[in-house]
Amino acid sequence: MPATDSLLTTLGLLVVAAPALLLAVFFTAFLLNHRMQEETIGRLIQGTISVSLLAALGAAGVMLARGVPQFVIELGDWVITPDYHLKFQFILDLLSLSYSILTLVLCATIGAFSTRYLHRERGYNRFFVIFAVFLMGMVTAALSDTVETLFAGWEMVGLSSVLLIAFFQERPAPPRNGLRVWIVYRVCDAALMLAAIMMHEINGAGDFDHITGRHAWPEHDPLLIGPHFALLGVLFIIAAAGKSALVPFSGWLPRAMEGPTPSSAVFYGALSVHLGVFLLLRISPVLDSAPWLSVLVVLLGLATAAFAYLAGRVQTDIKSALAFASLTQVGIIIAEIGLGFRYLALVHLLGHACLRTLQFIRAPSLLHDHHQLEDAIGTRPREERAQWEQRLPAAFQRALYRFSLERGYLDTILDRFIARPFVALFSWFDGLETRWAAMLEGGRENKPEAARTVNDRP
Amino acid sequence: MTAGSFPWLELTLLAPLLGAGVTAFIKTPAAAARWAFGFILAVSAGALGTAVEFLTADAAAVSSHGTFKADEIAAPMLPVLAVLHLLTLLGTSKSRMTPSFCARLLLSAFATMAAVTSQSGSVLIALMIAAALLPVWDLKSRGRRARGFLFYVVPFIGLLLIGWTFSEGARPVWAVGLLLLALKLCGGIVPLHGWLPTLFQRASFGAAMLFVLPLIEVVASLRLLLPHAPEWMLDAVSIACLVTAVYAAGMAVVQNDARRFYAFLALSQTSMVMFAVMLHTPTSITAALCLWISIILALAGLGYSIRALESRFGSLSLREHHGYYEQAPGLAVIFLVAGLASVGFPGTIGFVPMELLISGSAQHGLGFSVTLAVAAMLNGIAILRAYFSIFTGRRPTTSVSLRETRTERGGIILIALAVFFGGWFSPRVVESRHRVADRLLEARGAVPGKAGH
Repeated sequence: MPATDSLLTTLGLLVVAAPALLLAVFFTAFLLNHRMQEETIGRLIQGTISVSLLAALGAAGVMLARGVPQFVIELGDWVITPDYHLKFQFILDLLSLSYSILTLVLCATIGAFSTRYLHRERGYNRFFVIFAVFLMGMVTAALSDTVETLFAGWEMVGLSSVLLIAFFQERPAPPRNGLRVWIVYRVCDAALMLAAIMMHEINGAGDFDHITGRHAWPEHDPLLIGPHFALLGVLFIIAAAGKSALVPFSGWLPRAMEGPTPSSAVFYGALSVHLGVFLLLRISPVLDSAPWLSVLVVLLGLATAAFAYLAGRVQTDIKSALAFASLTQVGIIIAEIGLGFRYLALVHLLGHACLRTLQFIRAPSLLHDHHQLEDAIGTRPREERAQWEQRLPAAFQRALYRFSLERGYLDTILDRFIARPFVALFSWFDGLETRWAAMLEGGRENKPEAARTVNDRP
Repeated sequence: MTAGSFPWLELTLLAPLLGAGVTAFIKTPAAAARWAFGFILAVSAGALGTAVEFLTADAAAVSSHGTFKADEIAAPMLPVLAVLHLLTLLGTSKSRMTPSFCARLLLSAFATMAAVTSQSGSVLIALMIAAALLPVWDLKSRGRRARGFLFYVVPFIGLLLIGWTFSEGARPVWAVGLLLLALKLCGGIVPLHGWLPTLFQRASFGAAMLFVLPLIEVVASLRLLLPHAPEWMLDAVSIACLVTAVYAAGMAVVQNDARRFYAFLALSQTSMVMFAVMLHTPTSITAALCLWISIILALAGLGYSIRALESRFGSLSLREHHGYYEQAPGLAVIFLVAGLASVGFPGTIGFVPMELLISGSAQHGLGFSVTLAVAAMLNGIAILRAYFSIFTGRRPTTSVSLRETRTERGGIILIALAVFFGGWFSPRVVESRHRVADRLLEARGAVPGKAGH
């Protein structure tokens, strides 16, 4: 069916090309030092997403009509040497099209919402440039059929998320929190990069079909046995845990709420936080290669869900409460993947992302809604505690409350046992180097204010 | 006259020499800067012409001039080095521009381009020594002590001369070892790196960049060392380079001065190139040759941004948030993009080389790849930390506009094009670099008792 093939290729490429073109327009405007009008940006965003969404829906329709379970779009070998092979390749299948359509629908909603929400905001243009990078990254990751393509999208999503957390850059907290999120992202990026290298070592290429076989998702060849696959699985799990804020990386999620509400909705309520889930779904055959990997995923999911439930119960602001509620569901979805319920996990993901986006963009007006509700019923709505909570001993309740309030001490643990020793060690090295340099210069140690390291006291 | 018959290489090498002579005798800084700009443009045209001539002509027909030749190692590097010098000139503020700075910049252009194209070991050694003396001149002209720098440069010159003198002919292992030690000093491999942050703090930023970024030690390693050095020696140095990459990346994370941050970032990146050379496999040398190009362009862009900010606000501390984004958004974008390109962010010129390097190192063991990934991770953290410190925070109020000037805008466009569009040429560049790597390793295999991998 060459006509179907060429149609699917065109539609598939259009899904990715439209956001790429949008980025090219923004890049050209930057080169020409041209400041675009709000209205122009709004139209560009809506136009781009509409084209991309129509193409994705068209591709899905054609595949359903012709009974094509999956379709691979090969862009050719980007780099090829006898020992290394870098290929950019996209795949259209149930998973990729579902996730990319979800991405485009939610981005269209958030894009339309943001043009009004951020009207006359100083960083309006900046927001939409970063939003375009995010869109490009999400679509690339969703449609990727090689680990390199996934990595490219993954990194773009990470960077855009961090820059949007730091969007209100005049305040000290957003950049600080952005940096913390970036550190977690870099750890999970490193894990994904190593997983990519392992895939090359095992198969000589980064194509996902080398681990799933030629079957359409979620079917796969039951061939994956061996310690390499187990290690590969662990690396993928670390990458997914960082991106989806699973335990022990959950500390960054409430920090990410520093960004504007539309970005919180699209990133941490809906899409970005599910990217780790998407990764685990894509590489699910690797999880099946060793039973303990599946058990690990289930435990990770359940631990995350329990932690997020507890932490979410004590939050006092709506965005943080929604973030933890979101994380609870992500944990459950992860557990579903570990238990082998791949379809269920996908449906759960799609439904949850849509619901949470709606809740996030309604968050700014929630207080108003509550006032209306109180006026209507004439009193405050009663909050009833769960039966099982009342049966717990008082001391344990207090401990649990404190644990939840401190968000499981996850940030404290990472600070105390990783960040501080690291900074102390390198600051000590820096001090040694400065003294050595001063000695060589034959003068008194003259360390300029700017040269003091983060551990030095003024 | 056809493009092939024009003496592009002669133009590339003679223009900076002539320019250095002319600018040294000019009294006014503005006139010196104009002349230097003209000469650098001529150098850039020559470098581009040489590269195009090499790509389009039959390799045998490419201009060969005995000592200097645009061969397959040198030809792609000439335009890259020209861009580095052009950006350094464009990024120098009027207040810092002096005739002697222009002369040094042009001399640096000559020394680095001549070193890259040099086919004679002795000439290469002489050019490396000349290049190492330029920062001393800069320090002296600024009235700064050069003792700290000389503490490393004098042994470097001594080791280089002794090693080279005795490694000709019979090539005893100890002489090759001395040569290798000299190159380690030049590359700032830990623990011989003390000169590098000091140089960035005491010399002018431009002079330090021009000494560190061209990575002449890579040329020297490829031409002088790789064919003769024993396996164990290369393996030992490769581990030292790897340690340097991680150590410098960690140091970059904790710095609170923009120049020291840049110095350690550059050290981490450049040591990765040296690491790749020392691994001496086809993939690793291909990665080294590609990374050499991407790192020069990316770090030149990052340095350009820092220098432009320093010319407005003085030395930059990373202890607090300055909020310069609103004042100079173009510089902010270039800082971020160039910085991320240097650590191999997808879509930029650094992506493919970094992937190649980390993947290529896996052939020696996953531990190498993990260490490199950790170094890249730390560098990425250091870059974003510096970005947030410099560009976020409360906006400073100024009575005059501090937005980018037209000259700076030109530099920004050049960097953006190089960093983004440079990536599109990756497939062809990698292919050609792989051929070079094969030939270099063939030469190594031809030496009795030292079979290549």
